[in-house]
Parts: sequence; structure tokens; C-alpha cells
Amino acid sequence: MSAPVVLCVDDEPRILSALRRSLRREGYELLFADSPAAALEVFADRRVDVLLTDHKMRGATGIDLIREVAARFPATSRILITGWTGELDAAELARLEVRAVITKPWDDGDLKSHIRGCLPAGGLGG
Amino acid sequence: MEPGARGSGELGSPREAKTPAATVIRIAVVAPPGPTHDLTVQALRQLGSEVALEIHHATAPMFARLDAADLDLVVLDDELGESWLELLDARGAEGPPVLVVTSRQDEPQAVEAFRRGASDCVARGPEFERRLAVASLEQIRRHRAQREQGDARRQIAWLEHLHQSVVEEIPAAVAVTDPEGRVVTVNAAFVRLLGVAPGSSEGRPLAELLPVALPERGELVEARIRRTQGDTSAVALSSAPLTDAEGSPRGCVAILQDLTDWKQLERQVTQSEKMASIGQLAAGVAHEINNPMGFIHANLFQLGEYLEELTRVWERIGPLRKAVAAGEFDSARALGEELDKLVRETDADYLIDDASKAVRESLEGSERIRHIVQDLRAFAHQGSDDRVEADLNQCLDSTAHIVWTMTKHSVVLTKDYCELPPVLCFPMQLKQVFMNLLVNAYQAIEERPDCERGQIRLRTRLVGDDVEIEVEDNGVGMSPEQAGRIFEPFFTTKDVGDGTGLGLSTSYNIVKRHQGTLEVTSEPGVSTCFRVRLPAARRESGRPG
Repeated sequence: MSAPVVLCVDDEPRILSALRRSLRREGYELLFADSPAAALEVFADRRVDVLLTDHKMRGATGIDLIREVAARFPATSRILITGWTGELDAAELARLEVRAVITKPWDDGDLKSHIRGCLPAGGLGG
Repeated sequence: MEPGARGSGELGSPREAKTPAATVIRIAVVAPPGPTHDLTVQALRQLGSEVALEIHHATAPMFARLDAADLDLVVLDDELGESWLELLDARGAEGPPVLVVTSRQDEPQAVEAFRRGASDCVARGPEFERRLAVASLEQIRRHRAQREQGDARRQIAWLEHLHQSVVEEIPAAVAVTDPEGRVVTVNAAFVRLLGVAPGSSEGRPLAELLPVALPERGELVEARIRRTQGDTSAVALSSAPLTDAEGSPRGCVAILQDLTDWKQLERQVTQSEKMASIGQLAAGVAHEINNPMGFIHANLFQLGEYLEELTRVWERIGPLRKAVAAGEFDSARALGEELDKLVRETDADYLIDDASKAVRESLEGSERIRHIVQDLRAFAHQGSDDRVEADLNQCLDSTAHIVWTMTKHSVVLTKDYCELPPVLCFPMQLKQVFMNLLVNAYQAIEERPDCERGQIRLRTRLVGDDVEIEVEDNGVGMSPEQAGRIFEPFFTTKDVGDGTGLGLSTSYNIVKRHQGTLEVTSEPGVSTCFRVRLPAARRESGRPG
């Protein structure tokens, strides 16, 4: 069985770099995209198990991306990770079945357990 | 009666000139009963139907009525024995006139009566009734005329007092000059405000005490005056020419309002408004700090784990060195193989390489936070109390930088700056104006459905002697009604909590205080442009730099 695929989306490359470090030992195949548009390109030719996306990005928001992914790739679990402290539409998040909203700065343990929670139990040996 | 002691009644004459009672003639007759008494009463009744008589047959009850204001006349019969003289003696200056009726024809009796204060003396005899009536009317007329004069005098005294109290008590400094501009009088507030000795201003030219040009009538100008103590005070100054009843100039009155407290209040409001404008960016500020905090925090955590792994490798190196030193090569070889295995297992090469990358990235992140905090601190700074020459391109640019950072670079910022002469200003206040305009522009863009195509264009140029700054956005725009009210205090097009409604009105006042103008043009759904115009600093000849 191939490793679960986690796609991290953020327009801040240092965040992607830090996420790569945090998830290094989790046994996932990590993919990275620096914009919602680039993320959708990844979806075009890859299966993605978990989408981990920032909210406020240049061009479009993480919610926009999640909406698109929920409609076109519903099998992908969706997690929002954001430093935005403004209001987020809770009803919209529920409707889009966002599995978790993680705030930046994040706790590595929380991050890992939220991602694990999105994957079928025992689906991974590591 | 002291006019100032009058109650809460209307501010008018202390005594009405014509009381309703004044139409009725009130006469007190003091005479023993008998034929003369009857004749007297008869004569007085002829004076008219509105005569009210009060009859006393003895002097005793009359003593209390001698100063009665409602009496027009006292007719006193000398047949009351010696007591009529006592009554005359007891008479005060203000009371009604006393007319003595006597049966004695001799001069000494009349002289005695006049000496004792009688106003007239009528002897009985032929045509007594007619003579008494004529004499009574004359006394009544005189008494009433005197009373009216007294009223007028009191009225004038009251007006004088009123005028003096108003000038003295008004919480503004007042100075009155003659046509030559010399001080005629000043009030206590003037003495306090200028710090001059009481009584020292009168006779001096006002221009000496107050070396500022008096404004035209109806104008209110702000000026800075130097007090005798050496410090200065901000004042609002107005003046009006004084003319007499014929319209000839009699000098002028200058009124100064101390603005010190007001200025203090204004500074507080300006400062709170500035903080509020930062508050509107709070979410952006938090985001811009949370992002670097996010990766710094995660990196530190990972660096901790890297260090643990690398420590495990390091711990194997000790025994290996010992074995090599002891010449136990078999053991050393085994330890070396274990170490190799551990290095591969922990990916130590990668860890060392990535650790330095993580440190570098984290340092960049902390530098970014440091910048944000510095920008905010610089913006929140209150600034100096004195005008300085400033480069507005720089003021605009540094403020735009803060807003741009806080708003996640989500708008395209175009800068079109021309070289500008310095502007004499309070730079922190103008930065606040720019901040308000920029936040406004950004919020207008956010309200667009396709806000990702937001653009803010900054433009500066020199127009004649004025510096012009434009902040234009392609946000939602405003209706002409909204644009017409946009500088009113508390007017807001934003949702409750998104704006104080004071930002643009504060900005307007700041620009106005800099002798500039702030205008807006807007087209709903297309664009909004705020235009600030400020006079460039005048280069005074002979002044270095």
C-alpha cells in the first residue's frame, strides 16, 4: 500500500519548509503548492488524501480552494491552517466538511494528530 | 435693591415702569373727623373715579405707611395736635409727598410745615377744595415723575452691572480698545490668559500686549500668543469694531479663547483615532505576525528533535574515540560500523544541513516580526508638538508600507511619486491621514466581489505652490450622497465595528489645520480618489538651509 499523500498549500515558502520538517517522520508522501491554483494542478494528476491549506493567500483564499476541492475531489480530507484572526464563517466550514482549523503558530502534536485523524486507522504501518 | 440679587426672573428691568396699581391714585388722608375732614375727602374724590382713599383719624397707624411705595400722596391735617409734626419728621426721603392742610392762615405755620419736610401746604378758606385738588395733582405728578426717574436710574445701574458681570465672568479673554488701538479695559480672563498684572494693560497699545493681527469681523482665527511668563498659548481670536449710537468708530473689542485644554483634548482624540486605525488593521497585523511565528515555532520544535537525534550520534562517538585511543581496533571497528548505521538511520547529514536552513529561515521570520513591530511603534508614536519640514513622499511611502504588509500584499500598489519640496507639517498627523485613506481604500477593495483584482494607486505631484497627494482605489466606490457626507464625524459606510466613523473627519480636520484641503471623487463600483493638497513650505529669504 502506498503512503498517504498530504498536500500542503501556503504562499509563504517558509511555512511549507516548516511543515515539511514537522511531518518528515510521519511516513506520508508530502506535496507542496504555493498557491490555490498550483494546488489544483497537483490534483489534476495526483491522488491527494489530505489537503492542508492556508487561508489568506494572494489571489484566492484557502476556503475558495477547499470549496473547489470539496466539489471536485470529495475523497480528499480538508484541513485549514491559518494565522488569520478575523472571523471565519463557521457554517461554511461545516458545510464544506473541513476536518480541522489549525491556528498558526501551530502545535506539532496537534497538527500530526489532526492529519492522522483524517486517514483510515491502521492504513499506515508507521 | 441690588440688581444682582434678583431672583431667577427674566433678565429685564428691576422694576416695571408702569405697574397696574399706578393707574389708580392712592391717597392717605390723616385728619380728625369733622367738617374739614369731609371737605378734604370731597375735594380729593373730585380728582377722578380712580382715586383710592385710605382714611386715618389719627397719626399712629400712618407711621408704618410713610414709605409705602403704593401711596401717591399723604394729606395731613394739622388739627391733629403736635403729632402731625412728628409724622412729618418721621418721613423718609423715598416716601410719598406729604401735603399739609392747615386752618391757620399765618406764614409761620406753612414755613414750619415746609421746614419739616412737607411738600406743600394748603390753607382752608375760600376755594379750599379747588386749591387742594390742584396742589394734590401737582404733588402726585411730581412724585410719579421722580419715581420714574429713580426707576430709570436703577435700570441704567442694572444694565451697567449686567454688562460688567458678563464681560468679567465670560470664560474668554476680552479687551476693549479706543479708536487708536489703546486698551480701555480688559477682563479678568484676559489678565489670566496673558499673565499680565491686573490694571497694567489699560492705556497700552493692544498690539503691544497681543502682537497678532486681529481678524476681520465674524472671522475666528487660531493664533499662538506669548504670555509674559514666556510660555505660549494657543488661542482662538476674534474681534469686532465698536461704534457709538451714531455709528462713529469707538474702537474695537478683541476676544480670545484659550485653546490649551481643547488642544490637549484634540491631541487625545487624534491619538485614539490613530490607534483605532491600527485596530482596523489588527487582524492583518496578527496574520503578519502569526505566519512567521508559525514557522519559527515549528522550526524550533523540529530543531529540538534534530538535536536529540544528533545527540544520539554524538553519544556513540565517545566510546569510539576511547577505543581508538586505547588501540582496541576490533572494538573500534565495531563501534564505527554501529555509528555508520546510526548516521544513516538518523539521516544525520540531512539533519545538519536542514538545521542550518531552519535557523536561517527562522531568523528571517523574526526579523520580519521585528520590522512589523517597529513600523507599528513608529506609527503609534505621538510625534512632536512643533511643525517640522518633512518629505511627504517618505511619509506616504512608509505608511503605505505598513498597510501593504498588514493587508497581506493582496492589493497591487502602484506608486507614482514626483519629487516634492518639503512641507512644514506635523508628520505624524499627516501619516495618520495617509493611514486612514489607505485603510479606507483597502476596505473599499475588500468589499468588491472580485477583490483579488484590487489596486491602490498613490500619486504625488506639485501643483503651483501646493503639494498634492492622491490615494485612488478601484474598490466599491460611493454614491454622491455618501461622498457628500464622508467627512462628517461618525458617518460611516462600514459595518458596525469596522470603523469608528471618525477616521475621515479627523483626517479632514488635520488637513485643514495644515491649511490644506481634502477632497473626494468617487464613482460607485469603479473607483474612489482622495486628494490631499498642502501648501509647500515657503523658503524665507535670508534663512539658511
